[in-house]
Amino acid sequence: MLELRPILSALWRHKISALLIALQLGLTLAIVSNALVVIDERTERISRPTGVAVEDINTFGYLAIPKDYDKFEAFRLDLDMIRALPGVASATISNHVPLSGSGSSSGFYTEPNMEVGATAANFYTVDEHFIEALGMNLVAGRGFSPEEIMQVGATSSERPTVAVVTQRLADEMFPQGNALGNAIFRGGDDHPIEIVGIVERNLGPWPNSPIAGRGVFYPAIMDQWFTYIVRAEPGQRDAVLKLVEEKLAERDPNRVINSDTLEEQKDQYYAGDNTMVKVLTAVVILLTFIVALGVVGLTVFWITQRQKQIGVRRALGATRTAISRYFLLENLIIATTGILLGFAAAQIFNGFLVSEFNQPALPLTVTLACALALLGVSLAAALLPALRAANISPATATRSV
Amino acid sequence: MLKMHNIRKSYRTDTIETHALRDFSLEVNEGEFVSVTGPSGSGKTTFLNIAGLLETPTGGQYLLDGEDVSSLNDNQRSRLRNEKIGFIFQGFNLIPDLNLFDNIDVPLRYRGFNAKERKKRIEKVLEQVGLSARARHLPAQLSGGQQQRVAIARALAGEPRFLLADEPTGNLDSLMARQVMELLEFINEWGTTIVMVTHDPDLARRAHRNIQVVDGQVSDLQRTAAPTAVEIA
Ligand SMILES: Nc1ncnc2c1ncn2[C@@H]1O[C@H](COP(=O)(O)OP(=O)(O)OP(=O)(O)O)[C@@H](O)[C@H]1O
Ligand SMILES: [Mg+2]
Repeated sequence: MLELRPILSALWRHKISALLIALQLGLTLAIVSNALVVIDERTERISRPTGVAVEDINTFGYLAIPKDYDKFEAFRLDLDMIRALPGVASATISNHVPLSGSGSSSGFYTEPNMEVGATAANFYTVDEHFIEALGMNLVAGRGFSPEEIMQVGATSSERPTVAVVTQRLADEMFPQGNALGNAIFRGGDDHPIEIVGIVERNLGPWPNSPIAGRGVFYPAIMDQWFTYIVRAEPGQRDAVLKLVEEKLAERDPNRVINSDTLEEQKDQYYAGDNTMVKVLTAVVILLTFIVALGVVGLTVFWITQRQKQIGVRRALGATRTAISRYFLLENLIIATTGILLGFAAAQIFNGFLVSEFNQPALPLTVTLACALALLGVSLAAALLPALRAANISPATATRSV
Repeated sequence: MLKMHNIRKSYRTDTIETHALRDFSLEVNEGEFVSVTGPSGSGKTTFLNIAGLLETPTGGQYLLDGEDVSSLNDNQRSRLRNEKIGFIFQGFNLIPDLNLFDNIDVPLRYRGFNAKERKKRIEKVLEQVGLSARARHLPAQLSGGQQQRVAIARALAGEPRFLLADEPTGNLDSLMARQVMELLEFINEWGTTIVMVTHDPDLARRAHRNIQVVDGQVSDLQRTAAPTAVEIA
């Protein structure tokens, strides 16, 4: 039989300590539920599809020492050599590496000579191997042929006539779905660039920026900006990294080579998000632990304080179950109060985070799930002391002073 | 009503074993008012605790209302305490956080009575002990004598057959002690069997029968006397 009313009136006489624990639970709920949506958003951000074969790709750049170095010739020799190496699936040369945090962007229009209302997008210069080398998925049209690849020197003013774009850019610039075969223009320009192919996805060099996912690939090689992008056969990445490094140095020792895995570059790009996830996860665990400790502490304290009373209740006919139930019910009342307060606080706190810090909105279901979990934690924390309270002997009523 | 035969109770601590009761035999009849006296540490509280099912004896036989209680489990013992036995303690043992009404309500809730029945009983016993007007007061707002009367009301509310009191007047001045004693006598006249431990020889004499406990045993003098003989005060 429930004894809510007497528990409530007894609690009322200890309202300060009860309220403190309730507030602690409420605050934990408010913080934990908000932390969880941020964790969830960041985790999702980190793990969303990039459109490229992150696990298999290495990138290589170099600094040539001699002044009159023929870079275009070096590119050809390097790439021919790399493509022939064991474990190499494909290789291309590009001005920038996706997910690396360094890239180029530009505004594009569907009409010539426009100045405002551009669609901003990342752009890459690549050779004809780029789709395979990046591990992308061509969903419409074609890639580039070797004859289309232009060599763009520092003073060159030649402009590409064709491009491959990402599905997202195609959809946004041509909502009717007629991107393929249509032309795009760079700002203030009347030079048409025909879209000849569409790849499924490429997040671009800045996955957290608003232009992430909008990409334009030109058939070109630039001697100013270049990186070799080498995709290894599955599982061969690390071996290929070493091998290519060695062979590049061997072919031309007069240069400083820098190399990296794409995975490492992606991790670096997401380092802030990863830290945020780790810190918030620690906060969630710590707060939950502290609140559980608080509940254990208060329950143990109250049981110790009420030893005599427990003995008296036992003498008056309370079963062990009735004693444990009393303390669990008491805990439930406190926890429910705190969680109701916390529920409101969570929404208010979230409103603040959304408006001031551009954080994701907190869905009611998440708060509800957290509330239930916290209720469970609170009950679990009270369970052991409550069970031990039932072992207090009824003789305590006559024995202790 | 109560029949103990060769009850033994020993407490074992790390170093010593205390024989609180040894071959303790006693019979108390329905409707009797028995006082229990004896030196400190002689085993009076131990006897009362065993009689009231607060503790289990180490050996011997105990029949309560003809029922051998040694084989009962904890829940059954709790229920028997709740239904048949009323307790009055030296320190009153009211629950400080609950008002008088809720204090008396405690055993009634364990009994499983509905709210209406409980209210009726609480009001009745509060009336009997003359504290109806104080139902919403907290124990701390009452004098010792009043608190003990509430404790008696709490013990009576379940209409127990058997009332056990461990020095119920021990913490009271003589005027209040006399009032409590009169209340107990009144209750006894209405048919409740009472066993009362007391240090006060005057109060002990007012019972039907006085049991002297010495060294964990009923003293020889009384053992020879016929335990069934009810001496009307
Ligand atoms: N839990 C216990 N553990 C160990 N010894 C105990 C325990 N309870 C009681 N005793 C011992 O048992 C003996 C009888 O104790 P009991 O409380 O029954 O005496 P009493 O007659 O009620 O004394 P008083 O008049 O002082 O209340 C004492 O020697 C006491 O120290
Ligand atoms: Mg005693």
